[in-house]
Parts: sequence; structure tokens; C-alpha cells
Amino acid sequence: MVSSISTGGTGGQGAAKRPFLSGPVSCIAPALVLIALFFIVPVLMLLVRSVLEPAPGLENYAILFGSTTYLRVFSNTFLVATLVTVVSVVVGFPVAWALAILPRRWAVFLLAAIVLSMWTNLLARTYAWMVLLQRTGLINKILVNLGIVDSPLALVNNITGVTVGMVYIMLPFIILPLMGVISSIDASILRAASLCGANRWQSFTRVLLPLSLPGIAAGALMIFVMSLGYFVTPALLGGASSMMLAELIAQLVQSLVKWGLGGAAAFVLLVVTLGLYFLQLRYLKVDKRS
Amino acid sequence: MTRPFLSIQGIRKDYGDFTAIRDVTLDIARGEFMTFLGPSGSGKSTTLYILAGFQDPTEGDVLLDGESLLRMPSHKRNIGMVFQRYTLFPHLSVGENVAFPLRVRRCAKSEIEDRVHAALRLVHLEDLAGRKPALMSGGQQQRVALARALVYDPPLLLMDEPLSALDKKLREELQFEIRRIHQETGVTILYVTHDQEEALRLSDRISVFSQGRIEQIGTGRELYAEPATRFVAGFIGDSNFLAADILSVAENKAKLSICDGIVIDGVPVQGRPAGTGRPTLLLRPERISLSHAREACGMPVTIRDLTFLGNMVEVSSVTDRDEPVKIRIPFGNRIVSELASGDRVWANFDPGSLHAFQD
Amino acid sequence: MLLDFNRLGGVRYFLVIVTGLVLLFLILPIVFIAALSFGSSQWLIFPPPSWTLKWYAELFSDPRWLYTALTSLKIAVIVTVLSVVLGFLASLGLNRGEFAGREQIRALFLTPMILPVIVLAVALYALFLKLGLAGTTAGFVIAHLLVALPFSIISISGALDGFDKSIEDAAILCGASPWEARLKVTVPSIRHGLFTAAVFSFLASWDEVVLAIFMSSPTLQTLPVKIWTTLRQDLTPVVAAVSTILVALTAVLIFTPLVFRKRQKDD
Repeated sequence: MVSSISTGGTGGQGAAKRPFLSGPVSCIAPALVLIALFFIVPVLMLLVRSVLEPAPGLENYAILFGSTTYLRVFSNTFLVATLVTVVSVVVGFPVAWALAILPRRWAVFLLAAIVLSMWTNLLARTYAWMVLLQRTGLINKILVNLGIVDSPLALVNNITGVTVGMVYIMLPFIILPLMGVISSIDASILRAASLCGANRWQSFTRVLLPLSLPGIAAGALMIFVMSLGYFVTPALLGGASSMMLAELIAQLVQSLVKWGLGGAAAFVLLVVTLGLYFLQLRYLKVDKRS
Repeated sequence: MTRPFLSIQGIRKDYGDFTAIRDVTLDIARGEFMTFLGPSGSGKSTTLYILAGFQDPTEGDVLLDGESLLRMPSHKRNIGMVFQRYTLFPHLSVGENVAFPLRVRRCAKSEIEDRVHAALRLVHLEDLAGRKPALMSGGQQQRVALARALVYDPPLLLMDEPLSALDKKLREELQFEIRRIHQETGVTILYVTHDQEEALRLSDRISVFSQGRIEQIGTGRELYAEPATRFVAGFIGDSNFLAADILSVAENKAKLSICDGIVIDGVPVQGRPAGTGRPTLLLRPERISLSHAREACGMPVTIRDLTFLGNMVEVSSVTDRDEPVKIRIPFGNRIVSELASGDRVWANFDPGSLHAFQD
Repeated sequence: MLLDFNRLGGVRYFLVIVTGLVLLFLILPIVFIAALSFGSSQWLIFPPPSWTLKWYAELFSDPRWLYTALTSLKIAVIVTVLSVVLGFLASLGLNRGEFAGREQIRALFLTPMILPVIVLAVALYALFLKLGLAGTTAGFVIAHLLVALPFSIISISGALDGFDKSIEDAAILCGASPWEARLKVTVPSIRHGLFTAAVFSFLASWDEVVLAIFMSSPTLQTLPVKIWTTLRQDLTPVVAAVSTILVALTAVLIFTPLVFRKRQKDD
């Protein structure tokens, strides 16, 4: 219908030209300046530091990928991210499925619980697991009392603790989108499948699962990426041997004041994250065409 | 020499390579009801939006009472406007909607109350001042929009297809209301519509738009009786168009041959200089009479169908060249009862009432 | 068949059991902490030997907890106001402007939300050290604004998409200047979007941990930072008390907009 309205007194002799920075562009300007100055610039600066400190060159990256300690951190990070993603998807899929088809009353109740869990303070939720998983904590107490184990297990300050805590945080992030995807699948497709003679397992593997795959992939990727860069929960629930990338970056910068190395580690994380998002965009595009 | 109240001069609007409107020039008198009539995309709304200030023209100027309107930003132009989609403020009541322009002009509280009440009375909605727009019908909302546009006594009221979203009965009711309000207030109105019947009902004068230009300006009667172009002839009133060949031209009247060898003399010609090209002949359906015997000027047609339309009968027929011709005959006319599908009769007309177009 | 709950047969039990377990998994820890906050054991033994309010008493009598809470509140409020204002401006520009790179700029605005916060935290920390903004309220606000703005833009853009611009044009013709029209007509019409933007911006700042850790100084800490440093030392039940209060606040903040939106639908 209508293009933008003249904002100032720029009527002119009919052939009016708007001044360059009027209207929509100047509206965006404040937010854009904020992002440019305090997002793009600092991140670029960090990258630059990683190749300039302590001396110009790629020495920092060589150290990162050369030393076993740092490589351990990378492998921890990828291991945990993979574990968390797999567990979350396996556990989350049935819940999403149930949410999509449960009668309204139960679904709303369940949804409220998930939303509440998701928005509860991260530290509160992590603290809960710190307490639950400690040697004298409730879980070990139950395990020992029931005779399942002889002595308390080391459930925290290691990869186990981190994984449990991270799954707890990440579950809502796969359940909610996946629920949306499954809801959008037409139920009559599956009815048709069973009429065609498919039993439940076949209906599942040949129809429901493939149709849910885009949602699973998107959710899994999001969880994986988030887990890679997560700081709080791994730092609190993990130990020295299970240190992950985010904590390494923090330590390099805050405690050890090794800006070049820290910057390099941060840049590696950034590149991997962006790369995975890029892949997702590419994958999604292909999917839409088919 | 009185200068015109509203003078639109040489307006042109380009979007990159595409020219939306060009050479739009016309003068409007104070208190006149002028309609911009044309199909979608003909440029009539674009012209209106230039007047409202939503668009800037590439060339040209608009003078209201001698002052250039285009120099002023929209909110200073003091023009009223009613849109197709009511555009009432959803979070305000009817009374607050109408009061809005006055509040923005910082009028005194008592003055606001009086004028809002007067405006609502003008549109017969005084009792609904407290209601929210969402709870009102389309017709009522449009009347509120009208009250809001008039409450600050603007010299000019723009209306952009305000009745298109309403059903037929409501449309006719509101057309009557608009005409009455125009007479009561004397405000100058610029009305945009694609409905020629609406234009004929409401306007003092009509500007017919086609493909970004004005084809003709005149009263409804002038446009109907003396169409300047084939487009105007086809857009206003019903029409039949026949292919014709020019035999000779004298003093802007041509001698034409139509169908198979029927010769008609004394037809007024419009368009390019006569003598070249194949013109089209316009016959109005209600200007044709039917007879069994040949009369002074006419052509043979074969009847295909007869449709009873209440007060008249519409006869669908074809010429010997298979060109369709519609004829309208008042129901009381004797010949109607004598006609049947398949009959071959004579269609008679007066050459002076025809028009030939060369464009 | 698989999507009809009533015709699932045996699968139904599997789904219900797994869902029930997950539900317990998600809710019990929160309930557990709430229960512990009233328990008398300092080593968080469950079930606690007796019930008490002493952890809450300790919490409220310690001026440092109160101070950090107020700091969090102050920063969150400033961030909320700035986020809604800047988000409104940016959404206006994005929704109505037609300039090259518009979609790219929109994506750029949303980037702080999807990139790992640790990277941003470290980068900002470096920049602020140079600019002297480290450990200042201004630095804090800027950092939180970066992560709150995407929520704001998403919410307000959505509301603007559903808003008919010709209403704003009509207001201008009625005599209101463009910004007057936006304030008096557009803003009231999209108020639910603005409110949602405010709630999410507030929560984004109030709950934020990673940036806060790097933006803090010994004299300037937000509540999450205080919890963090406390947890690095020991697992005192005072943290359980704080957590319980935070959970309650979150629940209130989440359910208020829902009630608000329901009431607006009933209007």
C-alpha cells in the first residue's frame, strides 16, 4: 500500500528527496551502534589478540592443539556435548511425543512443569544437583540403603555430574520444539500406515521417526552447540579432570591472564559454533526443497 | 479571476523505471464532490496518497487555496481522510477516537466535548460515544471514521474506497449518508472508487483514470453522453463495441461501414486524426430499438437470448459478423413479447448518438 | 495410529511412564531444594532432622545478600527500560525500512542470543578493561543489554507485524506528528508485545550469570554472582533459601503475562 511517511518537513517542490538518515534507518541506528561497538568490535579485538599476544603469529593455536592438557579439555567438551545430546534426544523424544498427543488437561500441566523448569534460575537448578549428587547426598544414600552399591559413588566433580546436570538443563530445549514438530504431523498419515498393514514398530521406524527427523536434528544441533559453550553447570558440577572449553577460557583470562591463549580458545569455540549453525542453515535449506 | 480552490498541477510519480502516474492536472472548486474513478492500478489511489502526504511526487505540485500543499508534512496539512479499512484506534472509545484530532491540536476541554458531540450527531451516532470500535459493525465504524475526519473542519476530505468493504445494502445507505453530509457541511471531497455507479450517484464531477493518466474529466452526464476515449466509453455505462471501417470524414463526422456493408453517415469521431486506422463504434444498449422491418438507420442481428431484469429486458444478439450486441428494452415495450431466440430482426439507432473512437 | 493417544495400546504405558519419570526428574530437584531450605541440617542431609527458618533469617540479616539483590534489581530495571526502547526503535526500523542488508542486520541483532556467552563475556571484559568500564554499572548494563535486546526485538517485531500501519497513518492525518502518532496510537496497540519484551529482558538480566561474573568487581556484584562465589566455596543451605525465593519469583513473573494476555483476549 503505502511507503514510509515523510517524517520531517521535507515536502519540497514535488521532487522531494528524503535526507539519507531519516526514518527507518535512524531508528535502527542506536541498537546497531550498540551491537557494532560492544559486540562486533570486542570479538574481533579478541581474535586479533590471539594472534598478536604474546608475539605475532599462530603460536597460541599451536599450543592449544599441541598440549595434551588442552587437548583433553577439547575432548571432554566434545564428549560431554555428545553424551548430553544423545541422552536428551533419547529421553526427550517420548516426552515430546506424549505432549503432542496427550489429552489437553494433562498436556497443559506437563507443559507448565517444563516451562517452569526452564525458566528457573540456572544456579538454583545446578545447586540442586550439586547437593543431590554429593557423596552424602540423597542419591548415594538411596543407592547404598537399597544395597545397589556398597559405597557411595563419585557422582559429582566429574563427567557424570556434568552430564546429568546438563541433561537437566537441556531437556526442555529438545522437548518443546520437538513437540511442535510432532503436533504438526497429520495423524491420518499414521492411521493410513496402519491400514496399509504396518505394525506399530514399522509405523514408528518408517513413518513417525523420519517425519520427526528435521525437528530432532534441529533440536540436537541446538543442544550440542549450547553444550559446547556452556560455562556455569560444567564449572560447578565438574572437576579439574573434566574441565570444559568455557571454563578453560575463563581460567586463561581471569586467573592466568593469558589473553592470547584465551582469545585463541574463544575463537576456536566461536568458529565451531558458527560452523555448526552454518551447516544447519545449509541442511535446512536442502530439507525445504525436498 | 478566481483561482481554483484545489489545483493539482502536472503530477508525476515514478518508481524507478516504472511510471505510476503522469500528467495528472485538474482544478477542483471549493465545496465540490470530485471522484477519481478507474480500475485497480490506474493511479487514482496513488494521486490521493500524494495529496495526503504518504508519497512524494516525482514532479508537479498541489496548491490548496494558493499554498503549496507538498511543502508541508502530512500532519500539518489539515486534511481529513477516510480509508477503506476503517483504521479506528482500537484502544480508544468512539468518543475518544473522534476527540483525538482535537486533543492533538490542544483544544480546550469544553470545546472538544461540544465538537465531538456535533460530529457524532452529524453521522447519527451520538449515543455510541462510549463504545469500543471492535464492538461495532463495519458501517458504524466507517461513520465514526467520517466523524473523526470532519471534527476539525478540514477544508478537504479524502476518501479512499471507503465503502468497498461493506455489503451492497449498507453501501447504498452510506452513499446516501455521504451525500447528505456533503450537502450539510459543504466540505470539498475527493473520492476514490472503482465502482462507476457509486461515482455517478455521489459526484459533482468525475475524473476517469486509466493506466496512470486521466482520460477525461466531466460530470456523469458528460462522460456518458460524450466519452472522449474508448476506455471512458466502456467504463461508464454499458456499451457495445463494433469494428468499423472509415469511408470518409467531413468536419469530425465520419461515414463508416460496419458489419457486412451497412453504411452509417454522420458519426462523431474522437481520437487520432480521422482517416487512418480501424476505429471502434460505440452503441449504447438502451439507445437501440428493435423492429421486424428495416428503418432509417440500422443493422440486422440474430437474437440469442432474452433475459428478464425486472423493469427491462436484456436481449443478447449477434451481428452478421458474429459480434455480440446487447440491447435493453423497457419491459412495457410491445415488441418484447414478439421476440424469440433465433429470430432475425433489425437493430435501429440514430447515428448522431453514436461515437467512433480511433484509439 | 501412533498419534492417537487412545489407540496406542502397550506403547501408551511406555510413553506415560517415561513422561512421568521425566516430569519427576524435572520437578523434584526444585522441590527438593525448597524443602532443604527449611531443613536444619547444615550439610543438607535429607530428610532433615528438623525444620527451621534460620537459613532465611541468615539470608535476610546479611546485608551483602540484600545489597547484591538490590544491585541485580537496579541493573535489571535499567536494562529492561533500555531494551524495550531500543528494541522498539530497532523493530520499527526493521519492519518498515526497505534498505539493503535488512535481513542481515536483523540476523545480526539476534546473534548475541545464539553465540556462546563466554566468548562475549571475555571479549567485553577485555574491552572494558581498556575503557575503564570493568566493574562499573554502565558496563554491566551494556553487557546485559546485548543479550536482552534479541528477546525484545523478537517480541516487539512480532507485535508490529500484526499491527495495521494505516491506523498510525490515520493518526498522522488527524494532526499528530509521526512520533506523536507512534506514542499515542502504535505503542498502546502493541502493548502486549512491549510487556512481553519487558518481562523477557528483565529475566535475561536478572538471571544472567556468565557476563555478570566478568563484569563484577568486589564492590559491584549481582545476586547470581554472589551465589556463584558462595557455591565455589561451600554448599551452605542459605543458597537453598535464595534459590527457593528465586523460583517463586520466576513462577510469578512467568504466569503474570499469561494472565494478562488472557484478560486482553477477553476484552
